[in-house]
Amino acid sequence: MTVELTSTDLATLLKQKAGVTVSPLDLDRPGATFEDFGVDSLGLLAVVGELENRHGRSMTSAETSKSSAEFLQAVNLSLKEGS
Amino acid sequence: MNGSAARRRAAITGIGVVAPNGVGTDDFWKATCQGTSVLAPIDREGCEQFPLRIAGLVNGFDPAQFVEDRVLVATDRFTHFALAAAGMALDDSGLPIDAEGDPFGIGVVTAAGSGGGEFGQRELQQLWSRGPHHVGPYQSIAWFYAASTGQISIRGGFKGPCAVVASDEPGGLDALAHAARDVVRGTSAVVVGAAEAPIAPYSMVCQLGYPELSTVAEAEQAYMPFAEQADGFVPAEGGAFFVLEDEATARARGARIRAVVAGHAATFTGASRWAESREGLAHAIRSALAEADCPPEDVDVVFADALAVPEADRAEALALADVLGEHAARVAVTAPKAGTGRAYCGASALDTAAAALALEQGLIPPTPNADGCAYDLDLVTGFARTTAPRAALVLSRGLMGSNSALVLRIGSES
Repeated sequence: MTVELTSTDLATLLKQKAGVTVSPLDLDRPGATFEDFGVDSLGLLAVVGELENRHGRSMTSAETSKSSAEFLQAVNLSLKEGS
Repeated sequence: MNGSAARRRAAITGIGVVAPNGVGTDDFWKATCQGTSVLAPIDREGCEQFPLRIAGLVNGFDPAQFVEDRVLVATDRFTHFALAAAGMALDDSGLPIDAEGDPFGIGVVTAAGSGGGEFGQRELQQLWSRGPHHVGPYQSIAWFYAASTGQISIRGGFKGPCAVVASDEPGGLDALAHAARDVVRGTSAVVVGAAEAPIAPYSMVCQLGYPELSTVAEAEQAYMPFAEQADGFVPAEGGAFFVLEDEATARARGARIRAVVAGHAATFTGASRWAESREGLAHAIRSALAEADCPPEDVDVVFADALAVPEADRAEALALADVLGEHAARVAVTAPKAGTGRAYCGASALDTAAAALALEQGLIPPTPNADGCAYDLDLVTGFARTTAPRAALVLSRGLMGSNSALVLRIGSES
């Protein structure tokens, strides 16, 4: 079974690791960027680091994502590839 | 040379405090004047097993009340203190910070001694217990002694001259002098101060080697500067921040001038060489008074370094006598830090806050836990002294050998 990262999971991680409160609905908004939400590169790196540790694989492509849609796609692709 | 630039003088227009005896300037000042000691056993997790038992702890400080979540996850406690105190100082100053203003007109100067020890320890424990992938990215910025300058500057959008002074415990005074020079050179305002948070396991271990540290287990006797039984100092956390502006410009905008930074000098005489600190401190006092154009007999109150190591206390008393002459035995000398502990760079910043408030309020706070003085000094003990000081001398020495003196003048005199 493939685990999938949802926008709800991402919202939780952003709160925990980057200290940014954002609703899953806003993350789903087309074209929404991390910059819009006030998530800087270190904050995103903290989220990626947590996901990498959790799933035991590298997710470097997610680190450079500008939008939340891109990010979710990159993470879920690497989760699928690794399953 | 521009004549108006030559007349610029740095004035304190805002004060913010996070101290063991009060969060907020009013609470701090009230407790300081009451002279109550808040030194207490260290009850923090992981800190119980050290020979260092007593400290000045900032309790009842809720970081979330002063710092945004996004910054909280990225910063250590010493930066939380700095952001809180800097925010209070800015509010107190009433300095207009608007989008149309010149962002390069406001600078930030902080001093730090130990940096983010608590944050760093947490991440390093992750490193050796779980591996490098478990170290968070904020470790790269949070432990660093420059973190507070950066975070204050980012929060306020302050792009003026920014600096971090690493000069031992007198850093609080040296940062103020650095900021005052920025103001004299033309910077509109500088947010300046120092705060430290060294009461966490790793940070405490770093201090255990200091021979000057008190290991007395009873809070009332642990830090007794200038007493016969003086047996070392007690560490603390906390600090103070200020807004410095050009005096005339600040007056023109209707700001309250809380004190004027009139003179400063610093010297270095070597780590733990307390007998030699006499000469270094005397030179700093003499030079600071000269810069302030303040004759020795015009000094109305001395906020002493007050290390509570007999050799160091004697050197400080002698340094005062060397420069002030007979006035050294008459001038009011106080050490409020005897009741709060020494927050390293934060201690000299807190003494500066107390000195500015003493000038403003006409009240000299006492030295807590003191009932006498083993040296030829008029140590203020018991109760605050009502008087009308016009010039204050703040002294600080560091364990690594720095000595500094700062002269503040009353703000209401022009």
